[in-house]
Amino acid sequence: MQRRPPPARQGEPGSPRVRRCPSPAWEPRSSWHHRRPPLLPSRRSSMLSVLNAPFASRRSSLVAAPGGRRPAVGPWMLHSRVSFSGLPLFQPIQEIRYENTYRMQPDEGCKFSACRVRRVLESALAASLGDAAYSAQSGAQLAHSLADLLRSRAKEVVPPRYKLVCHVLLGQRGQQSLLVASRALWDPQSDSFASATFSNASLFAVATVHGLYFE
Amino acid sequence: MIFNADEAHNIVKECIEGVLGKADYNHNKVNQWTAAIVEQSLTHLVKLGKTYKYIVTCAVMQRSGAGLHTASSCFWDTTTDGTCTVRWENRTMNCIVNVFAVAIIL
Repeated sequence: MQRRPPPARQGEPGSPRVRRCPSPAWEPRSSWHHRRPPLLPSRRSSMLSVLNAPFASRRSSLVAAPGGRRPAVGPWMLHSRVSFSGLPLFQPIQEIRYENTYRMQPDEGCKFSACRVRRVLESALAASLGDAAYSAQSGAQLAHSLADLLRSRAKEVVPPRYKLVCHVLLGQRGQQSLLVASRALWDPQSDSFASATFSNASLFAVATVHGLYFE
Repeated sequence: MIFNADEAHNIVKECIEGVLGKADYNHNKVNQWTAAIVEQSLTHLVKLGKTYKYIVTCAVMQRSGAGLHTASSCFWDTTTDGTCTVRWENRTMNCIVNVFAVAIIL
Protein backbone atom coordinates (compact mmCIF):
# COMPACT_ATOMS: atom_id res chain seq x y z
CA MET A 1 0.00 0.00 0.00
CA GLN A 2 1.56 3.28 -0.99
CA ARG A 3 1.48 6.26 1.26
CA ARG A 4 1.68 9.78 0.10
CA PRO A 5 4.67 11.49 1.61
CA PRO A 6 3.94 14.66 3.50
CA PRO A 7 5.30 17.89 2.09
CA ALA A 8 8.93 18.48 3.02
CA ARG A 9 9.52 21.08 5.64
CA GLN A 10 12.26 23.55 5.16
CA GLY A 11 14.92 24.49 7.63
CA GLU A 12 14.92 21.27 9.61
CA PRO A 13 18.06 20.67 11.59
CA GLY A 14 20.12 17.62 10.81
CA SER A 15 19.54 16.22 7.40
CA PRO A 16 17.95 18.14 4.65
CA ARG A 17 14.85 16.85 3.07
CA VAL A 18 14.26 13.90 5.29
CA ARG A 19 10.65 13.18 5.28
CA ARG A 20 9.05 12.95 8.62
CA CYS A 21 6.48 10.40 9.33
CA PRO A 22 3.05 11.82 9.63
CA SER A 23 1.49 11.98 13.04
CA PRO A 24 -2.17 11.72 12.58
CA ALA A 25 -4.51 12.62 15.34
CA TRP A 26 -5.75 9.10 15.73
CA GLU A 27 -2.38 7.74 16.76
CA PRO A 28 -2.54 5.82 20.02
CA ARG A 29 -0.02 8.03 21.69
CA SER A 30 -1.30 7.97 25.20
CA SER A 31 -0.98 4.25 25.59
CA TRP A 32 2.53 4.36 24.31
CA HIS A 33 3.68 7.43 26.11
CA HIS A 34 3.76 6.02 29.58
CA ARG A 35 6.16 3.38 28.49
CA ARG A 36 8.72 5.93 27.67
CA PRO A 37 11.26 6.45 30.43
CA PRO A 38 10.87 9.80 32.16
CA LEU A 39 14.41 10.87 31.36
CA LEU A 40 13.93 11.29 27.64
CA PRO A 41 12.64 14.60 26.43
CA SER A 42 9.61 14.29 24.30
CA ARG A 43 10.80 15.81 21.12
CA ARG A 44 11.72 14.22 17.89
CA SER A 45 14.83 14.71 15.92
CA SER A 46 14.68 14.73 12.21
CA MET A 47 16.86 11.62 11.95
CA LEU A 48 14.52 8.81 12.68
CA SER A 49 15.83 5.42 13.45
CA VAL A 50 14.15 2.76 11.49
CA LEU A 51 13.49 -0.74 12.54
CA ASN A 52 12.12 -3.76 10.91
CA ALA A 53 8.45 -3.44 10.31
CA PRO A 54 6.81 -6.13 8.33
CA PHE A 55 3.80 -5.27 10.44
CA ALA A 56 4.54 -1.62 10.50
CA SER A 57 2.38 0.06 13.05
CA ARG A 58 1.68 3.66 12.68
CA ARG A 59 3.12 4.82 15.91
CA SER A 60 5.43 7.71 16.26
CA SER A 61 8.98 6.70 16.82
CA LEU A 62 10.80 6.45 20.08
CA VAL A 63 13.66 8.79 19.58
CA ALA A 64 16.37 9.70 22.00
CA ALA A 65 17.63 13.21 22.30
CA PRO A 66 20.81 13.64 20.31
CA GLY A 67 23.67 12.25 22.32
CA GLY A 68 21.32 10.62 24.78
CA ARG A 69 20.94 6.97 25.60
CA ARG A 70 18.18 4.71 24.60
CA PRO A 71 16.82 2.20 27.02
CA ALA A 72 17.55 -1.35 26.01
CA VAL A 73 14.01 -2.40 25.37
CA GLY A 74 14.63 -4.46 22.30
CA PRO A 75 13.32 -3.97 18.82
CA TRP A 76 10.37 -1.61 18.63
CA MET A 77 7.83 -1.48 15.94
CA LEU A 78 8.50 1.83 14.38
CA HIS A 79 7.55 3.71 11.37
CA SER A 80 9.11 2.71 8.16
CA ARG A 81 10.93 5.40 6.40
CA VAL A 82 9.35 6.73 3.30
CA SER A 83 11.58 7.34 0.34
CA PHE A 84 11.27 10.07 -2.18
CA SER A 85 9.43 7.85 -4.58
CA GLY A 86 6.86 7.00 -1.96
CA LEU A 87 7.82 3.37 -1.51
CA PRO A 88 8.41 2.30 2.07
CA LEU A 89 11.95 1.26 2.90
CA PHE A 90 12.37 -1.52 5.42
CA GLN A 91 15.60 -1.92 7.30
CA PRO A 92 16.63 -4.81 9.51
CA ILE A 93 16.46 -4.68 13.27
CA GLN A 94 19.34 -2.72 14.65
CA GLU A 95 20.96 -3.60 17.89
CA ILE A 96 20.79 -0.80 20.37
CA ARG A 97 24.31 0.37 20.93
CA TYR A 98 25.34 2.83 23.53
CA GLU A 99 27.57 5.69 22.65
CA ASN A 100 31.19 5.55 23.59
CA THR A 101 31.93 7.41 26.78
CA TYR A 102 35.69 7.44 26.15
CA ARG A 103 36.33 6.70 29.78
CA MET A 104 39.38 4.49 30.22
CA GLN A 105 39.77 4.70 33.97
CA PRO A 106 37.52 5.22 36.93
CA ASP A 107 36.99 8.80 38.06
CA GLU A 108 39.08 10.25 40.82
CA GLY A 109 38.00 8.97 44.16
CA CYS A 110 35.78 6.36 42.61
CA LYS A 111 38.02 3.35 42.86
CA PHE A 112 37.31 -0.02 44.38
CA SER A 113 37.92 0.45 48.07
CA ALA A 114 39.31 -2.81 49.40
CA CYS A 115 39.11 -2.01 53.11
CA ARG A 116 35.55 -0.78 52.86
CA VAL A 117 34.45 -3.92 51.08
CA ARG A 118 36.32 -6.09 53.55
CA ARG A 119 34.49 -4.47 56.46
CA VAL A 120 31.19 -5.06 54.72
CA LEU A 121 32.10 -8.71 54.09
CA GLU A 122 33.14 -9.29 57.67
CA SER A 123 29.97 -7.85 59.10
CA ALA A 124 27.77 -9.72 56.63
CA LEU A 125 29.50 -13.03 57.36
CA ALA A 126 29.25 -12.55 61.10
CA ALA A 127 25.60 -11.61 60.89
CA SER A 128 24.53 -14.53 58.73
CA LEU A 129 26.78 -17.26 60.10
CA GLY A 130 26.93 -16.15 63.72
CA ASP A 131 25.50 -19.25 65.31
CA ALA A 132 25.01 -21.54 62.32
CA ALA A 133 26.01 -25.17 62.51
CA TYR A 134 27.43 -27.04 59.55
CA SER A 135 25.28 -29.73 58.00
CA ALA A 136 25.88 -31.58 54.74
CA GLN A 137 22.37 -31.00 53.41
CA SER A 138 22.11 -27.31 54.04
CA GLY A 139 25.75 -26.48 53.43
CA ALA A 140 25.39 -26.12 49.69
CA GLN A 141 22.34 -23.90 49.90
CA LEU A 142 23.91 -21.82 52.61
CA ALA A 143 27.00 -21.23 50.52
CA HIS A 144 24.87 -20.27 47.55
CA SER A 145 22.73 -17.81 49.47
CA LEU A 146 25.80 -16.39 51.15
CA ALA A 147 27.43 -15.72 47.80
CA ASP A 148 24.35 -13.85 46.59
CA LEU A 149 24.05 -11.91 49.81
CA LEU A 150 27.68 -10.84 49.80
CA ARG A 151 27.51 -9.85 46.18
CA SER A 152 24.52 -7.61 46.76
CA ARG A 153 26.10 -6.07 49.84
CA ALA A 154 29.34 -5.44 48.01
CA LYS A 155 27.46 -3.89 45.11
CA GLU A 156 26.05 -1.24 47.42
CA VAL A 157 29.45 0.08 48.41
CA VAL A 158 31.32 -0.38 45.17
CA PRO A 159 31.39 2.55 42.70
CA PRO A 160 29.58 2.19 39.35
CA ARG A 161 31.17 0.66 36.26
CA TYR A 162 32.67 -2.18 38.27
CA LYS A 163 32.04 -5.84 37.60
CA LEU A 164 32.07 -8.04 40.68
CA VAL A 165 33.09 -11.64 41.20
CA CYS A 166 32.18 -12.99 44.62
CA HIS A 167 33.53 -16.36 45.71
CA VAL A 168 32.60 -18.14 48.95
CA LEU A 169 34.13 -21.25 50.50
CA LEU A 170 32.20 -22.88 53.28
CA GLY A 171 33.56 -25.89 55.10
CA GLN A 172 33.19 -28.07 58.09
CA ARG A 173 35.68 -27.45 60.79
CA GLY A 174 37.71 -30.55 61.35
CA GLN A 175 41.33 -31.37 61.69
CA GLN A 176 42.23 -30.57 58.13
CA SER A 177 44.09 -27.60 56.82
CA LEU A 178 43.06 -25.53 53.86
CA LEU A 179 44.80 -22.99 51.72
CA VAL A 180 43.10 -20.65 49.28
CA ALA A 181 45.13 -18.76 46.70
CA SER A 182 44.14 -16.52 43.86
CA ARG A 183 45.86 -14.64 41.12
CA ALA A 184 44.46 -12.34 38.54
CA LEU A 185 45.34 -10.68 35.28
CA TRP A 186 43.91 -7.18 35.44
CA ASP A 187 44.68 -3.51 35.53
CA PRO A 188 46.32 -2.92 38.90
CA GLN A 189 45.44 0.75 38.98
CA SER A 190 41.72 0.28 38.84
CA ASP A 191 41.01 -3.30 39.89
CA SER A 192 41.32 -4.86 43.29
CA PHE A 193 39.92 -7.46 45.62
CA ALA A 194 38.86 -7.90 49.24
CA SER A 195 38.56 -11.03 51.33
CA ALA A 196 37.29 -11.95 54.76
CA THR A 197 37.13 -15.09 56.85
CA PHE A 198 34.83 -16.26 59.56
CA SER A 199 34.85 -19.33 61.75
CA ASN A 200 32.87 -20.70 64.64
CA ALA A 201 32.84 -24.02 66.42
CA SER A 202 31.54 -26.14 63.57
CA LEU A 203 32.25 -24.31 60.34
CA PHE A 204 34.47 -21.83 58.62
CA ALA A 205 33.89 -19.52 55.69
CA VAL A 206 36.22 -17.67 53.34
CA ALA A 207 34.76 -14.96 51.12
CA THR A 208 36.55 -13.07 48.34
CA VAL A 209 35.20 -10.27 46.20
CA HIS A 210 37.11 -9.12 43.11
CA GLY A 211 36.19 -5.85 41.51
CA LEU A 212 37.08 -5.28 37.86
CA TYR A 213 36.63 -1.94 36.17
CA PHE A 214 34.51 -2.20 33.09
CA GLU A 215 36.00 -0.08 30.35
CA MET B 1 32.90 -13.21 21.92
CA ILE B 2 31.87 -15.98 24.27
CA PHE B 3 34.08 -17.50 26.90
CA ASN B 4 35.12 -21.02 25.94
CA ALA B 5 34.80 -22.96 29.17
CA ASP B 6 35.96 -26.29 27.75
CA GLU B 7 39.22 -24.89 26.59
CA ALA B 8 39.87 -23.34 30.01
CA HIS B 9 38.89 -26.58 31.70
CA ASN B 10 41.48 -28.55 29.76
CA ILE B 11 44.19 -26.00 30.37
CA VAL B 12 43.60 -25.90 34.10
CA LYS B 13 43.36 -29.68 34.42
CA GLU B 14 46.73 -30.09 32.78
CA CYS B 15 48.27 -27.54 35.11
CA ILE B 16 46.93 -29.27 38.20
CA GLU B 17 48.10 -32.68 37.05
CA GLY B 18 51.49 -31.26 36.32
CA VAL B 19 51.90 -29.72 39.75
CA LEU B 20 50.09 -32.09 42.10
CA GLY B 21 50.31 -35.24 39.99
CA LYS B 22 51.38 -37.95 42.37
CA ALA B 23 52.21 -35.93 45.44
CA ASP B 24 50.72 -36.45 48.88
CA TYR B 25 49.51 -33.62 51.04
CA ASN B 26 52.42 -31.77 52.57
CA HIS B 27 51.73 -28.71 54.68
CA ASN B 28 55.09 -27.14 53.88
CA LYS B 29 54.66 -27.41 50.15
CA VAL B 30 51.04 -26.38 49.81
CA ASN B 31 51.97 -22.74 49.43
CA GLN B 32 54.19 -23.30 46.47
CA TRP B 33 51.77 -25.77 44.92
CA THR B 34 48.87 -23.35 44.91
CA ALA B 35 51.09 -20.57 43.66
CA ALA B 36 52.40 -22.76 40.85
CA ILE B 37 48.94 -23.95 39.81
CA VAL B 38 47.57 -20.45 39.72
CA GLU B 39 50.54 -19.00 37.89
CA GLN B 40 50.71 -21.68 35.26
CA SER B 41 46.97 -21.60 34.64
CA LEU B 42 47.04 -17.87 34.20
CA THR B 43 50.01 -18.00 31.86
CA HIS B 44 48.38 -20.58 29.65
CA LEU B 45 45.09 -18.71 29.61
CA VAL B 46 46.83 -15.54 28.55
CA LYS B 47 48.53 -17.40 25.72
CA LEU B 48 45.10 -17.95 24.20
CA GLY B 49 45.34 -14.32 23.23
CA LYS B 50 41.77 -13.33 24.00
CA THR B 51 40.78 -9.92 25.34
CA TYR B 52 39.79 -11.07 28.81
CA LYS B 53 40.71 -10.19 32.34
CA TYR B 54 41.17 -13.41 34.32
CA ILE B 55 40.79 -14.31 37.96
CA VAL B 56 42.05 -17.74 38.98
CA THR B 57 41.45 -19.05 42.50
CA CYS B 58 42.74 -22.32 43.83
CA ALA B 59 41.82 -24.08 47.07
CA VAL B 60 43.75 -27.12 48.24
CA MET B 61 42.39 -29.05 51.16
CA GLN B 62 43.65 -32.05 53.05
CA ARG B 63 41.31 -34.98 52.84
CA SER B 64 40.03 -35.79 56.25
CA GLY B 65 36.37 -36.45 55.77
CA ALA B 66 35.22 -32.89 56.40
CA GLY B 67 32.77 -31.34 54.02
CA LEU B 68 33.48 -28.35 51.80
CA HIS B 69 31.16 -26.20 49.70
CA THR B 70 32.08 -23.44 47.31
CA ALA B 71 29.76 -20.94 45.68
CA SER B 72 30.27 -17.87 43.58
CA SER B 73 28.06 -15.04 42.50
CA CYS B 74 29.04 -12.60 39.81
CA PHE B 75 27.82 -9.26 38.57
CA TRP B 76 28.86 -9.08 34.94
CA ASP B 77 27.75 -9.30 31.36
CA THR B 78 26.49 -12.83 30.86
CA THR B 79 26.88 -12.70 27.10
CA THR B 80 30.62 -12.18 27.09
CA ASP B 81 31.89 -13.25 30.50
CA GLY B 82 32.10 -16.75 31.90
CA THR B 83 33.48 -19.07 34.51
CA CYS B 84 34.92 -22.54 34.72
CA THR B 85 35.47 -24.77 37.75
CA VAL B 86 37.79 -27.75 37.90
CA ARG B 87 37.72 -30.27 40.73
CA TRP B 88 40.58 -32.64 41.19
CA GLU B 89 41.42 -35.05 43.94
CA ASN B 90 43.76 -37.78 44.90
CA ARG B 91 44.13 -39.99 47.92
CA THR B 92 45.22 -37.29 50.33
CA MET B 93 43.91 -33.99 49.09
CA ASN B 94 41.23 -32.13 47.19
CA CYS B 95 41.85 -29.28 44.81
CA ILE B 96 39.28 -26.85 43.45
CA VAL B 97 40.25 -24.27 40.84
CA ASN B 98 37.91 -21.53 39.63
CA VAL B 99 38.57 -19.46 36.56
CA PHE B 100 36.57 -16.27 36.02
CA ALA B 101 36.94 -14.46 32.71
CA VAL B 102 35.69 -10.91 32.33
CA ALA B 103 35.67 -9.42 28.86
CA ILE B 104 37.31 -6.16 27.93
CA ILE B 105 35.47 -4.18 25.33
CA LEU B 106 37.86 -2.65 22.87
